[in-house]
Amino acid sequence: MDGCSFVVPRGKISGLIGPNGSGKTTTFNLLTGLLEPDGGQVIYNGENLAGLKPYQIFRKGVTRTFQVTRIFREMTVLENMLSVTGLGVPERVARQRAEELIAFVNLGHLRSEYGGRLSYGQQKLLEFVRALMTDPDLILLDEPAAGVNRTLLQHLLDHMHRLQEQGKTIVIVEHDMNVIMNHCERIFVMDYGVKIAEGPPAEIQRDERVVEAYFGRRR
Amino acid sequence: MTRGEHLRNLVLLGACAVALTILPHALTVYRRSFVLFTMMYVVLALSWNIISGFTGYTSFGHVAFYGIGAYACAILVADYRWHWIPTLGVGAVLAALIAVVIGYPVLRLKGPYFAIAMLGAAEGTRVVATVWDSLTHGGLGISLPSAETSLETYYAMVTLMLVTIVVAYGVGHSRFGIRLNAIREDEVAAEALGINATLYKLAAFTLSAVFPAVAGGIQAYKVLYIDPPAVFFVQITIAMALMSMLGGKGTVIGPIVGAVILYTAQELTWVNFPTAHLIAYGLFIVLVARFMPRGLVGLAIDRGWVRKGMIH
Repeated sequence: MDGCSFVVPRGKISGLIGPNGSGKTTTFNLLTGLLEPDGGQVIYNGENLAGLKPYQIFRKGVTRTFQVTRIFREMTVLENMLSVTGLGVPERVARQRAEELIAFVNLGHLRSEYGGRLSYGQQKLLEFVRALMTDPDLILLDEPAAGVNRTLLQHLLDHMHRLQEQGKTIVIVEHDMNVIMNHCERIFVMDYGVKIAEGPPAEIQRDERVVEAYFGRRR
Repeated sequence: MTRGEHLRNLVLLGACAVALTILPHALTVYRRSFVLFTMMYVVLALSWNIISGFTGYTSFGHVAFYGIGAYACAILVADYRWHWIPTLGVGAVLAALIAVVIGYPVLRLKGPYFAIAMLGAAEGTRVVATVWDSLTHGGLGISLPSAETSLETYYAMVTLMLVTIVVAYGVGHSRFGIRLNAIREDEVAAEALGINATLYKLAAFTLSAVFPAVAGGIQAYKVLYIDPPAVFFVQITIAMALMSMLGGKGTVIGPIVGAVILYTAQELTWVNFPTAHLIAYGLFIVLVARFMPRGLVGLAIDRGWVRKGMIH
Protein backbone atom coordinates (compact mmCIF):
# COMPACT_ATOMS: atom_id res chain seq x y z
CA MET A 1 0.00 0.00 0.00
CA ASP A 2 1.25 3.42 -0.85
CA GLY A 3 -0.15 6.87 -0.34
CA CYS A 4 -3.53 5.46 0.52
CA SER A 5 -5.49 7.65 2.87
CA PHE A 6 -9.09 7.57 3.97
CA VAL A 7 -11.33 8.50 6.85
CA VAL A 8 -14.03 6.09 7.99
CA PRO A 9 -17.13 7.96 9.23
CA ARG A 10 -17.92 7.14 12.86
CA GLY A 11 -21.17 5.34 13.53
CA LYS A 12 -21.69 4.36 9.91
CA ILE A 13 -21.33 1.27 7.78
CA SER A 14 -18.61 1.66 5.18
CA GLY A 15 -17.50 -0.65 2.41
CA LEU A 16 -14.00 -1.35 1.16
CA ILE A 17 -13.95 -2.85 -2.31
CA GLY A 18 -11.51 -3.52 -5.09
CA PRO A 19 -10.33 -6.32 -7.36
CA ASN A 20 -8.48 -9.32 -5.96
CA GLY A 21 -5.07 -8.36 -4.67
CA SER A 22 -5.88 -4.68 -4.43
CA GLY A 23 -4.91 -4.46 -0.75
CA LYS A 24 -8.19 -4.68 1.13
CA THR A 25 -7.13 -7.40 3.55
CA THR A 26 -3.72 -5.78 3.85
CA THR A 27 -5.53 -2.63 4.95
CA PHE A 28 -7.33 -4.60 7.65
CA ASN A 29 -4.06 -6.18 8.73
CA LEU A 30 -2.48 -2.75 9.05
CA LEU A 31 -5.44 -1.44 11.03
CA THR A 32 -5.37 -4.36 13.47
CA GLY A 33 -1.62 -4.58 13.96
CA LEU A 34 -1.06 -7.89 12.18
CA LEU A 35 1.18 -5.93 9.83
CA GLU A 36 3.27 -3.01 10.91
CA PRO A 37 3.24 -0.11 8.46
CA ASP A 38 6.62 1.06 7.12
CA GLY A 39 5.27 4.57 7.37
CA GLY A 40 2.08 6.50 7.87
CA GLN A 41 -0.47 6.51 10.63
CA VAL A 42 -3.58 4.72 11.78
CA ILE A 43 -5.56 7.21 13.82
CA TYR A 44 -8.35 5.90 16.00
CA ASN A 45 -10.06 8.12 18.60
CA GLY A 46 -7.27 10.62 18.11
CA GLU A 47 -4.58 8.06 18.89
CA ASN A 48 -2.01 6.58 16.53
CA LEU A 49 -2.34 2.79 16.51
CA ALA A 50 0.54 2.14 14.12
CA GLY A 51 3.18 -0.02 15.77
CA LEU A 52 0.92 -1.33 18.52
CA LYS A 53 0.52 -5.09 19.01
CA PRO A 54 -2.71 -6.72 17.78
CA TYR A 55 -3.95 -7.47 21.30
CA GLN A 56 -3.37 -3.83 22.33
CA ILE A 57 -5.37 -2.57 19.36
CA PHE A 58 -8.14 -5.06 20.15
CA ARG A 59 -8.31 -3.79 23.71
CA LYS A 60 -8.89 -0.27 22.39
CA GLY A 61 -12.15 -1.51 20.88
CA VAL A 62 -11.16 -2.57 17.36
CA THR A 63 -12.16 -6.06 16.32
CA ARG A 64 -12.22 -8.01 13.07
CA THR A 65 -13.12 -11.21 11.27
CA PHE A 66 -10.97 -12.95 8.70
CA GLN A 67 -11.49 -13.63 5.01
CA VAL A 68 -10.73 -17.30 5.49
CA THR A 69 -12.26 -18.04 8.88
CA ARG A 70 -9.88 -18.39 11.79
CA ILE A 71 -12.06 -20.01 14.39
CA PHE A 72 -10.37 -22.21 17.00
CA ARG A 73 -11.03 -25.61 15.47
CA GLU A 74 -10.46 -27.95 18.38
CA MET A 75 -12.36 -25.82 20.82
CA THR A 76 -16.11 -25.89 21.25
CA VAL A 77 -18.31 -23.07 20.00
CA LEU A 78 -18.77 -21.88 23.59
CA GLU A 79 -15.02 -21.99 24.24
CA ASN A 80 -14.38 -20.02 21.07
CA MET A 81 -16.62 -17.31 22.45
CA LEU A 82 -15.27 -17.35 26.01
CA SER A 83 -11.63 -17.20 24.93
CA VAL A 84 -12.12 -13.63 23.74
CA THR A 85 -13.30 -12.14 27.02
CA GLY A 86 -10.57 -10.78 29.28
CA LEU A 87 -9.98 -12.54 32.58
CA GLY A 88 -11.12 -9.43 34.41
CA VAL A 89 -14.70 -9.95 33.28
CA PRO A 90 -16.67 -12.18 35.67
CA GLU A 91 -17.32 -15.68 34.32
CA ARG A 92 -21.10 -15.34 34.66
CA VAL A 93 -21.19 -12.14 32.60
CA ALA A 94 -18.97 -13.67 29.88
CA ARG A 95 -21.09 -16.82 29.70
CA GLN A 96 -24.34 -14.91 29.47
CA ARG A 97 -23.07 -12.79 26.61
CA ALA A 98 -21.63 -15.85 24.84
CA GLU A 99 -24.91 -17.75 25.12
CA GLU A 100 -26.92 -14.77 23.83
CA LEU A 101 -24.69 -14.28 20.83
CA ILE A 102 -24.55 -18.00 20.02
CA ALA A 103 -28.33 -18.17 20.16
CA PHE A 104 -28.58 -15.07 18.01
CA VAL A 105 -26.85 -16.75 15.05
CA ASN A 106 -28.77 -19.99 15.61
CA LEU A 107 -25.75 -21.94 16.81
CA GLY A 108 -27.27 -22.73 20.20
CA HIS A 109 -27.64 -26.43 19.44
CA LEU A 110 -23.95 -26.57 18.45
CA ARG A 111 -22.56 -24.81 21.50
CA SER A 112 -20.69 -27.95 22.61
CA GLU A 113 -19.48 -28.92 19.14
CA TYR A 114 -15.91 -28.34 17.98
CA GLY A 115 -15.55 -25.22 15.88
CA GLY A 116 -13.81 -27.25 13.19
CA ARG A 117 -16.87 -29.46 12.74
CA LEU A 118 -19.15 -26.57 11.76
CA SER A 119 -19.98 -25.88 8.14
CA TYR A 120 -18.12 -23.00 6.55
CA GLY A 121 -21.12 -20.73 6.77
CA GLN A 122 -21.59 -21.56 10.43
CA GLN A 123 -17.92 -20.85 11.04
CA LYS A 124 -18.40 -17.43 9.44
CA LEU A 125 -21.26 -16.74 11.82
CA LEU A 126 -19.30 -17.96 14.80
CA GLU A 127 -16.43 -15.71 13.86
CA PHE A 128 -18.80 -12.77 13.48
CA VAL A 129 -20.32 -13.15 16.94
CA ARG A 130 -16.97 -14.03 18.49
CA ALA A 131 -15.75 -10.63 17.33
CA LEU A 132 -18.67 -9.04 19.21
CA MET A 133 -17.95 -10.66 22.58
CA THR A 134 -16.23 -7.61 24.02
CA ASP A 135 -18.69 -5.04 22.65
CA PRO A 136 -16.17 -3.34 20.33
CA ASP A 137 -16.66 0.10 18.80
CA LEU A 138 -15.02 -0.48 15.43
CA ILE A 139 -15.86 -3.73 13.66
CA LEU A 140 -13.94 -4.81 10.57
CA LEU A 141 -15.61 -7.61 8.61
CA ASP A 142 -13.58 -9.37 5.93
CA GLU A 143 -16.05 -10.89 3.45
CA PRO A 144 -18.83 -11.70 5.92
CA ALA A 145 -21.22 -12.86 3.18
CA ALA A 146 -18.99 -15.45 1.50
CA GLY A 147 -20.42 -18.93 2.06
CA VAL A 148 -23.31 -17.79 4.24
CA ASN A 149 -26.80 -18.70 3.01
CA ARG A 150 -29.29 -15.96 2.15
CA THR A 151 -31.50 -16.31 5.22
CA LEU A 152 -28.60 -16.21 7.64
CA LEU A 153 -26.96 -13.42 5.67
CA GLN A 154 -30.09 -11.30 6.00
CA HIS A 155 -30.06 -12.03 9.70
CA LEU A 156 -26.41 -11.01 9.91
CA LEU A 157 -27.00 -7.81 7.96
CA ASP A 158 -29.95 -6.90 10.16
CA HIS A 159 -27.74 -7.32 13.17
CA MET A 160 -25.10 -5.16 11.57
CA HIS A 161 -27.61 -2.35 11.21
CA ARG A 162 -28.69 -2.78 14.80
CA LEU A 163 -25.03 -2.44 15.87
CA GLN A 164 -24.76 0.68 13.78
CA GLU A 165 -27.85 2.13 15.44
CA GLN A 166 -26.08 1.57 18.75
CA GLY A 167 -23.31 3.82 17.48
CA LYS A 168 -20.83 1.22 16.27
CA THR A 169 -18.60 1.86 13.28
CA ILE A 170 -18.46 -0.95 10.76
CA VAL A 171 -16.22 -1.51 7.75
CA ILE A 172 -16.93 -4.36 5.34
CA VAL A 173 -14.68 -5.88 2.72
CA GLU A 174 -17.00 -7.72 0.39
CA HIS A 175 -17.22 -8.98 -3.17
CA ASP A 176 -21.01 -9.26 -3.07
CA MET A 177 -21.98 -5.92 -4.61
CA ASN A 178 -25.58 -6.19 -3.42
CA VAL A 179 -24.36 -6.21 0.15
CA ILE A 180 -22.01 -3.32 -0.46
CA MET A 181 -24.38 -1.13 -2.46
CA ASN A 182 -27.46 -1.71 -0.29
CA HIS A 183 -25.92 -1.55 3.14
CA CYS A 184 -22.97 0.83 3.05
CA GLU A 185 -23.27 4.58 3.34
CA ARG A 186 -19.78 5.23 2.12
CA ILE A 187 -17.59 3.17 -0.15
CA PHE A 188 -13.83 3.18 -0.66
CA VAL A 189 -12.42 1.58 -3.77
CA MET A 190 -8.86 0.30 -3.91
CA ASP A 191 -6.68 -0.95 -6.71
CA TYR A 192 -2.97 -1.85 -6.55
CA GLY A 193 -2.70 -0.59 -2.99
CA VAL A 194 -4.09 2.87 -3.76
CA LYS A 195 -7.48 4.40 -3.13
CA ILE A 196 -8.97 5.12 -6.53
CA ALA A 197 -12.40 6.34 -5.53
CA GLU A 198 -14.55 7.22 -2.56
CA GLY A 199 -18.17 8.17 -2.16
CA PRO A 200 -21.76 7.05 -1.59
CA PRO A 201 -22.93 3.91 -3.49
CA ALA A 202 -24.74 5.71 -6.27
CA GLU A 203 -21.67 7.74 -7.11
CA ILE A 204 -19.32 4.76 -7.01
CA GLN A 205 -21.51 2.76 -9.38
CA ARG A 206 -21.13 5.47 -12.04
CA ASP A 207 -17.43 6.07 -11.44
CA GLU A 208 -15.35 5.39 -14.56
CA ARG A 209 -12.17 4.48 -12.67
CA VAL A 210 -14.01 1.89 -10.62
CA VAL A 211 -15.55 0.24 -13.65
CA GLU A 212 -12.14 0.27 -15.26
CA ALA A 213 -10.42 -1.31 -12.27
CA TYR A 214 -12.95 -4.12 -12.21
CA PHE A 215 -13.52 -4.73 -15.90
CA GLY A 216 -10.59 -3.14 -17.67
CA ARG A 217 -10.53 -0.09 -19.93
CA ARG A 218 -13.36 0.34 -22.40
CA ARG A 219 -12.30 0.15 -26.02
CA MET B 1 -17.99 -28.53 33.57
CA THR B 2 -20.83 -27.98 35.90
CA ARG B 3 -20.39 -27.37 39.59
CA GLY B 4 -21.65 -30.90 40.30
CA GLU B 5 -18.99 -32.41 38.06
CA HIS B 6 -16.24 -30.39 39.69
CA LEU B 7 -17.46 -31.58 43.06
CA ARG B 8 -17.51 -35.20 41.86
CA ASN B 9 -13.94 -34.89 40.60
CA LEU B 10 -12.83 -33.33 43.85
CA VAL B 11 -14.35 -36.24 45.78
CA LEU B 12 -12.58 -38.69 43.44
CA LEU B 13 -9.27 -36.94 44.00
CA GLY B 14 -9.87 -36.95 47.75
CA ALA B 15 -10.50 -40.70 47.63
CA CYS B 16 -7.25 -41.16 45.70
CA ALA B 17 -5.41 -39.10 48.29
CA VAL B 18 -6.75 -41.22 51.15
CA ALA B 19 -5.92 -44.45 49.32
CA LEU B 20 -2.38 -43.28 48.53
CA THR B 21 -1.88 -42.23 52.14
CA ILE B 22 -2.83 -45.64 53.52
CA LEU B 23 -1.27 -47.66 50.71
CA PRO B 24 2.49 -47.63 51.54
CA HIS B 25 1.93 -49.49 54.79
CA ALA B 26 0.55 -52.41 52.81
CA LEU B 27 3.38 -52.42 50.28
CA THR B 28 6.87 -53.84 50.06
CA VAL B 29 9.67 -51.30 49.68
CA TYR B 30 9.97 -52.16 45.99
CA ARG B 31 6.27 -51.64 45.29
CA ARG B 32 6.32 -48.42 47.27
CA SER B 33 9.06 -47.15 44.98
CA PHE B 34 7.07 -48.22 41.98
CA VAL B 35 4.06 -46.20 43.13
CA LEU B 36 6.32 -43.22 43.88
CA PHE B 37 7.83 -43.22 40.41
CA THR B 38 4.43 -43.68 38.80
CA MET B 39 3.27 -40.56 40.63
CA MET B 40 6.42 -38.77 39.53
CA TYR B 41 5.63 -39.47 35.91
CA VAL B 42 2.06 -38.26 36.44
CA VAL B 43 3.58 -34.98 37.65
CA LEU B 44 5.99 -34.79 34.71
CA ALA B 45 3.39 -35.60 32.05
CA LEU B 46 0.82 -33.18 33.51
CA SER B 47 3.40 -30.39 33.64
CA TRP B 48 4.61 -30.98 30.09
CA ASN B 49 0.98 -30.94 29.03
CA ILE B 50 0.47 -27.37 30.29
CA ILE B 51 2.85 -25.89 27.71
CA SER B 52 2.70 -28.60 25.07
CA GLY B 53 -0.88 -29.85 25.34
CA PHE B 54 -2.88 -26.80 26.44
CA THR B 55 -0.70 -24.24 24.64
CA GLY B 56 0.54 -26.32 21.68
CA TYR B 57 4.27 -25.69 22.15
CA THR B 58 5.79 -29.17 22.06
CA SER B 59 8.82 -29.16 24.33
CA PHE B 60 11.58 -31.71 23.83
CA GLY B 61 13.66 -30.28 26.63
CA HIS B 62 11.53 -30.38 29.72
CA VAL B 63 13.96 -32.69 31.47
CA ALA B 64 16.09 -29.58 32.00
CA PHE B 65 13.78 -28.41 34.79
CA TYR B 66 13.72 -31.83 36.36
CA GLY B 67 17.52 -31.90 36.34
CA ILE B 68 17.76 -28.40 37.79
CA GLY B 69 15.49 -29.42 40.66
CA ALA B 70 17.50 -32.58 41.27
CA TYR B 71 20.76 -30.62 41.37
CA ALA B 72 19.35 -27.90 43.62
CA CYS B 73 18.39 -30.57 46.14
CA ALA B 74 21.60 -32.60 45.86
CA ILE B 75 23.96 -29.62 46.14
CA LEU B 76 22.17 -27.98 49.05
CA VAL B 77 21.81 -31.23 50.99
CA ALA B 78 25.25 -32.69 50.29
CA ASP B 79 27.41 -29.55 50.36
CA TYR B 80 25.43 -27.10 52.46
CA ARG B 81 23.78 -29.49 54.88
CA TRP B 82 20.28 -28.18 54.27
CA HIS B 83 17.23 -30.16 55.23
CA TRP B 84 15.96 -31.62 51.97
CA ILE B 85 12.41 -30.26 52.04
CA PRO B 86 13.28 -26.53 51.64
CA THR B 87 15.62 -27.41 48.75
CA LEU B 88 12.53 -28.35 46.76
CA GLY B 89 11.36 -24.75 46.99
CA VAL B 90 14.76 -23.50 45.86
CA GLY B 91 14.64 -25.87 42.88
CA ALA B 92 11.15 -24.68 41.97
CA VAL B 93 12.12 -20.99 42.10
CA LEU B 94 15.31 -21.62 40.16
CA ALA B 95 13.44 -23.58 37.48
CA ALA B 96 10.85 -20.80 37.21
CA LEU B 97 13.56 -18.16 36.74
CA ILE B 98 15.38 -20.23 34.16
CA ALA B 99 12.08 -20.93 32.41
CA VAL B 100 11.52 -17.19 32.04
CA VAL B 101 15.04 -16.65 30.72
CA ILE B 102 14.88 -19.56 28.25
CA GLY B 103 11.21 -19.10 27.43
CA TYR B 104 11.28 -15.45 26.48
CA PRO B 105 13.41 -15.96 23.36
CA VAL B 106 12.56 -19.59 22.61
CA LEU B 107 8.77 -19.21 22.77
CA ARG B 108 9.00 -16.94 19.74
CA LEU B 109 9.77 -20.05 17.73
CA LYS B 110 6.99 -22.30 16.59
CA GLY B 111 6.45 -26.00 15.92
CA PRO B 112 9.57 -28.03 15.22
CA TYR B 113 11.84 -25.02 15.73
CA PHE B 114 10.64 -24.62 19.30
CA ALA B 115 10.96 -28.36 19.91
CA ILE B 116 14.55 -28.45 18.66
CA ALA B 117 15.49 -25.28 20.55
CA MET B 118 14.22 -26.87 23.76
CA LEU B 119 16.18 -30.02 23.03
CA GLY B 120 19.25 -27.81 22.70
CA ALA B 121 18.42 -25.92 25.89
CA ALA B 122 18.20 -29.19 27.85
CA GLU B 123 21.47 -30.48 26.40
CA GLY B 124 23.07 -27.14 27.22
CA THR B 125 21.91 -27.41 30.81
CA ARG B 126 23.35 -30.91 31.02
CA VAL B 127 26.69 -29.67 29.70
CA VAL B 128 26.74 -26.85 32.24
CA ALA B 129 26.04 -29.37 35.01
CA THR B 130 28.90 -31.54 33.73
CA VAL B 131 31.43 -28.76 33.30
CA TRP B 132 30.75 -26.60 36.36
CA ASP B 133 32.84 -28.81 38.65
CA SER B 134 33.07 -26.46 41.61
CA LEU B 135 29.29 -26.34 42.00
CA THR B 136 28.04 -29.68 40.68
CA HIS B 137 31.04 -32.00 41.13
CA GLY B 138 30.84 -32.47 37.35
CA GLY B 139 30.70 -35.94 35.90
CA LEU B 140 31.40 -37.55 39.26
CA GLY B 141 27.88 -36.78 40.36
CA ILE B 142 26.73 -36.15 43.92
CA SER B 143 26.01 -38.63 46.68
CA LEU B 144 23.51 -37.46 49.24
CA PRO B 145 23.80 -38.26 52.92
CA SER B 146 20.49 -39.60 54.01
CA ALA B 147 18.35 -40.62 56.87
CA GLU B 148 15.71 -41.64 54.37
CA THR B 149 12.88 -43.87 55.50
CA SER B 150 11.36 -44.03 51.98
CA LEU B 151 8.11 -42.85 53.52
CA GLU B 152 9.21 -39.22 53.55
CA THR B 153 9.86 -39.10 49.82
CA TYR B 154 6.71 -41.12 49.19
CA TYR B 155 4.51 -38.64 50.99
CA ALA B 156 6.31 -35.72 49.40
CA MET B 157 5.53 -37.17 45.99
CA VAL B 158 1.87 -37.78 46.91
CA THR B 159 1.60 -34.14 47.96
CA LEU B 160 3.33 -32.88 44.82
CA MET B 161 1.14 -35.01 42.60
CA LEU B 162 -2.07 -33.82 44.25
CA VAL B 163 -0.98 -30.19 43.95
CA THR B 164 -0.01 -30.69 40.30
CA ILE B 165 -3.34 -32.32 39.51
CA VAL B 166 -5.28 -29.53 41.20
CA VAL B 167 -3.29 -26.83 39.38
CA ALA B 168 -3.52 -28.58 35.98
CA TYR B 169 -7.23 -29.12 36.51
CA GLY B 170 -7.70 -25.50 37.55
CA VAL B 171 -5.79 -24.21 34.54
CA GLY B 172 -7.44 -26.60 32.10
CA HIS B 173 -10.98 -25.72 33.10
CA SER B 174 -10.51 -21.98 33.44
CA ARG B 175 -10.69 -19.18 30.91
CA PHE B 176 -6.92 -18.85 31.34
CA GLY B 177 -6.66 -22.40 30.01
CA ILE B 178 -9.14 -21.69 27.23
CA ARG B 179 -6.98 -18.78 26.14
CA LEU B 180 -3.93 -21.05 26.11
CA ASN B 181 -5.96 -23.37 23.87
CA ALA B 182 -6.73 -20.43 21.59
CA ILE B 183 -2.99 -19.77 21.21
CA ARG B 184 -2.52 -23.43 20.31
CA GLU B 185 -5.30 -23.35 17.73
CA ASP B 186 -4.39 -20.09 16.01
CA GLU B 187 -1.94 -17.71 17.59
CA VAL B 188 -2.51 -14.92 15.07
CA ALA B 189 -6.26 -14.95 15.62
CA ALA B 190 -5.75 -15.20 19.38
CA GLU B 191 -3.59 -12.05 19.31
CA ALA B 192 -6.09 -10.26 17.11
CA LEU B 193 -8.77 -11.14 19.68
CA GLY B 194 -6.98 -9.51 22.56
CA ILE B 195 -4.79 -12.28 23.95
CA ASN B 196 -1.26 -11.21 24.85
CA ALA B 197 0.24 -14.46 23.57
CA THR B 198 3.79 -13.75 24.74
CA LEU B 199 2.65 -13.27 28.30
CA TYR B 200 0.32 -16.28 28.33
CA LYS B 201 2.91 -18.58 26.80
CA LEU B 202 5.54 -17.47 29.29
CA ALA B 203 3.13 -18.04 32.19
CA ALA B 204 2.26 -21.52 30.93
CA PHE B 205 5.90 -22.37 30.31
CA THR B 206 6.98 -21.22 33.76
CA LEU B 207 4.15 -23.12 35.42
CA SER B 208 5.11 -26.24 33.49
CA ALA B 209 8.71 -25.93 34.70
CA VAL B 210 8.01 -25.68 38.42
CA PHE B 211 6.54 -29.11 39.17
CA PRO B 212 9.18 -31.15 37.30
CA ALA B 213 11.84 -29.31 39.32
CA VAL B 214 10.22 -30.34 42.60
CA ALA B 215 9.83 -33.90 41.27
CA GLY B 216 13.53 -33.91 40.37
CA GLY B 217 14.42 -32.81 43.90
CA ILE B 218 12.33 -35.54 45.52
CA GLN B 219 13.78 -38.08 43.13
CA ALA B 220 17.35 -37.02 44.00
CA TYR B 221 16.68 -37.50 47.70
CA LYS B 222 14.97 -40.80 46.96
CA VAL B 223 17.79 -42.39 44.95
CA LEU B 224 20.61 -40.61 46.86
CA TYR B 225 22.94 -40.32 43.92
CA ILE B 226 22.65 -38.16 40.82
CA ASP B 227 24.90 -37.35 37.90
CA PRO B 228 24.25 -35.32 34.73
CA PRO B 229 23.41 -38.21 32.36
CA ALA B 230 20.82 -39.58 34.80
CA VAL B 231 18.87 -36.41 35.56
CA PHE B 232 19.20 -34.76 32.15
CA PHE B 233 18.26 -37.95 30.35
CA VAL B 234 16.46 -37.12 27.11
CA GLN B 235 14.30 -40.20 27.50
CA ILE B 236 12.57 -38.57 30.47
CA THR B 237 11.33 -35.79 28.16
CA ILE B 238 10.22 -38.35 25.61
CA ALA B 239 8.33 -40.21 28.34
CA MET B 240 6.50 -36.99 29.32
CA ALA B 241 5.48 -36.39 25.73
CA LEU B 242 4.51 -39.95 25.01
CA MET B 243 2.48 -40.38 28.19
CA SER B 244 0.53 -37.20 27.43
CA MET B 245 -0.02 -38.22 23.83
CA LEU B 246 -1.16 -41.71 24.72
CA GLY B 247 -3.66 -40.47 27.28
CA GLY B 248 -4.69 -37.37 25.38
CA LYS B 249 -2.77 -34.10 25.04
CA GLY B 250 -4.58 -30.99 26.11
CA THR B 251 -6.79 -32.76 28.63
CA VAL B 252 -6.24 -33.23 32.36
CA ILE B 253 -7.07 -36.90 32.75
CA GLY B 254 -5.11 -37.90 29.62
CA PRO B 255 -1.55 -37.41 30.90
CA ILE B 256 -2.49 -39.07 34.21
CA VAL B 257 -3.85 -42.17 32.48
CA GLY B 258 -0.97 -42.21 29.99
CA ALA B 259 1.65 -41.99 32.73
CA VAL B 260 0.11 -44.81 34.76
CA ILE B 261 -0.24 -47.10 31.74
CA LEU B 262 3.18 -46.46 30.22
CA TYR B 263 5.16 -46.52 33.45
CA THR B 264 3.47 -49.75 34.52
CA ALA B 265 4.13 -51.32 31.13
CA GLN B 266 7.76 -50.21 31.30
CA GLU B 267 8.18 -51.64 34.80
CA LEU B 268 6.65 -54.96 33.80
CA THR B 269 8.85 -55.39 30.74
CA TRP B 270 12.25 -54.10 31.80
CA VAL B 271 12.89 -56.81 34.39
CA ASN B 272 12.84 -59.48 31.71
CA PHE B 273 13.77 -57.44 28.67
CA PRO B 274 15.99 -54.56 29.77
CA THR B 275 15.77 -52.72 26.45
CA ALA B 276 12.28 -53.80 25.42
CA HIS B 277 10.63 -50.64 26.72
CA LEU B 278 12.83 -48.54 24.46
CA ILE B 279 11.67 -50.45 21.40
CA ALA B 280 8.13 -50.29 22.72
CA TYR B 281 8.45 -46.51 23.15
CA GLY B 282 9.48 -46.13 19.54
CA LEU B 283 6.67 -48.32 18.34
CA PHE B 284 4.17 -46.53 20.58
CA ILE B 285 5.11 -43.10 19.24
CA VAL B 286 4.43 -44.28 15.71
CA LEU B 287 1.19 -46.08 16.54
CA VAL B 288 -0.28 -43.34 18.73
CA ALA B 289 0.63 -40.60 16.24
CA ARG B 290 -0.81 -42.59 13.34
CA PHE B 291 -3.98 -44.09 14.79
CA MET B 292 -4.76 -42.11 17.91
CA PRO B 293 -3.36 -38.61 17.56
CA ARG B 294 -5.71 -37.31 20.23
CA GLY B 295 -5.02 -40.19 22.60
CA LEU B 296 -7.34 -42.34 24.65
CA VAL B 297 -9.40 -39.36 25.74
CA GLY B 298 -9.77 -38.31 22.10
CA LEU B 299 -11.02 -41.80 21.35
CA ALA B 300 -13.51 -41.59 24.21
CA ILE B 301 -14.71 -38.22 22.91
CA ASP B 302 -15.22 -39.59 19.40
CA ARG B 303 -17.23 -42.48 20.83
CA GLY B 304 -19.38 -40.02 22.75
CA TRP B 305 -18.31 -41.27 26.19
CA VAL B 306 -16.76 -37.96 27.12
CA ARG B 307 -18.01 -34.50 26.24
CA LYS B 308 -16.03 -32.23 23.97
CA GLY B 309 -14.24 -29.24 25.38
CA MET B 310 -13.01 -28.15 28.79
CA ILE B 311 -15.69 -25.61 29.69
CA HIS B 312 -19.35 -26.53 29.40
